[in-house]
Amino acid sequence: MKHLKAITILFLLLVSALAVPAKAADFDPKEIIFEHLGDGYGWEVPFDHHHRMPLPVIVCDQSGSWHCFSSAHLDHHAVYADGDVTWHVPAEGDNKGKVVQILADGSEYRPIDLSITKNVMALFITVLVVLAVCMPVARWHKRHGFKAPRRFVGAVESLIDFVYTGVIKPTLGQDARRFAPFLLTIFMFIFIMNLMGLMVIFPGGANLTGNIAVTMVLALLTFFVTNLFGRKHYWKEIFWPDVPMWLKCPIPIMQVIEVFGVFTKPASLTVRLFANMMGGHMIVIVLTLIIFILADFGAAALGATTVVSLLFSIFMLVLDVLVSFIQAFVFTMLSTTFIAMAQERGHDDHHSESTTLAK
Amino acid sequence: MELFTPDFGLVFWMFVCFAVLFFLLWKFAWPAIMKGVDSRAELIDQGVLYAQQAKEQLDSAKLQAEKFEDEARARQAEILREADRMKSQIIEEARTEAAREAKKEMDAAKVAIEQARKEAQQSFRNEVSAFALDIAQKVVRTELADPAAQARLVDSILDQMEPGK
Repeated sequence: MKHLKAITILFLLLVSALAVPAKAADFDPKEIIFEHLGDGYGWEVPFDHHHRMPLPVIVCDQSGSWHCFSSAHLDHHAVYADGDVTWHVPAEGDNKGKVVQILADGSEYRPIDLSITKNVMALFITVLVVLAVCMPVARWHKRHGFKAPRRFVGAVESLIDFVYTGVIKPTLGQDARRFAPFLLTIFMFIFIMNLMGLMVIFPGGANLTGNIAVTMVLALLTFFVTNLFGRKHYWKEIFWPDVPMWLKCPIPIMQVIEVFGVFTKPASLTVRLFANMMGGHMIVIVLTLIIFILADFGAAALGATTVVSLLFSIFMLVLDVLVSFIQAFVFTMLSTTFIAMAQERGHDDHHSESTTLAK
Repeated sequence: MELFTPDFGLVFWMFVCFAVLFFLLWKFAWPAIMKGVDSRAELIDQGVLYAQQAKEQLDSAKLQAEKFEDEARARQAEILREADRMKSQIIEEARTEAAREAKKEMDAAKVAIEQARKEAQQSFRNEVSAFALDIAQKVVRTELADPAAQARLVDSILDQMEPGK
């Protein structure tokens, strides 16, 4: 413990000594923040601000033919001519940061863009990681049956078991086996995405769950599963609920509220995960940027800010590990609850269950 | 703002990725894991149940054994008491039998003694009467040598024989 303290202090002193006042002329914190939170056609290389790992750009031009080329051609807002079609990533305007086709008259055309961007690449990596994490557990169970696994496989299994036995089975009851694959996939996917986002360099670092497209797709999947597999009782509760007649007959007050509720559920799922994860990323970036913002005030201020920012960043990152799990868990838990509510079988046989759920 | 507008490309790839991941996990991972987890939970439950039952059985077996032991002890005591009783009875019987035998012997002896005594008495009497007759003969012979005395004797005998006197 004593050594640890000494090493930490030494490290912090070293960091503050290294922080030489060196401020870039065109330093724009807002730009940097949004660049890190957003998507991109290449992947940043650590310690190198001029080169990016090239990724394939896949776009469909105005005439309907597909183009696939390396994103290296578009670096630093360069104009790239692929045959007779010119492509460009504008630095500002409506299509800022997106690949556009420059038409003959000089106007921009936003094509159908299925590029393997940084986020898409991160998705692929995440899929591979999830498979690499979950498959050994399945293999273990196929080989050893009911024996308890050890080490990493045991840790993953206890995580899966925590969600499956702790949330899915008690909430869904007899339907647990039917919906568990979907819910467990959602959980593992979000959890790994969250954790990968916390790693600052290559395999991680993409702000996936802090991207509204990703969370929206996840919420839409829950929405589809909830409504497509919904039972008769669920639809009856929406269109003919058990309330006094005047609430539903001449003016359909309850129906409007219920239908509204059907759509607010996925919306809340989308925004909850997105805002939580993006917020975490943003705080860490801002804390890091404070060092450079305060660089103007001299070496002393710079050194002190570096130490403080570093400590806060580490604290936030550790907190984000917790948030990563909590948000993945909350998303899964709410999805389970929504699906369970749509699976109710009416008042006769499952009344007690529905009342406990309502609480 | 760019952050709040979902990108079509990313949405598309997200669907694809999720579909692929879901298919693979649904096909190869989740059923095996769920089966394993469920069967293990079941096994543990059954194990606990089995242990409980075994404990109950053991307890009842212990109780049973104690009961048997108590019974055996009671039986043992019973048998011992019975043996004791029989012993004393046999002794008692032997004693009465012996007493009876002895009494019989004694009675027989008594009768024999009585007999002997009576016989002895009889012979003694006979002898005494013979002696007495002898003595009387001798006395009478001496006495009746004098005629006057003879006459007196006859008189006294006659007196005695006369019923009116």
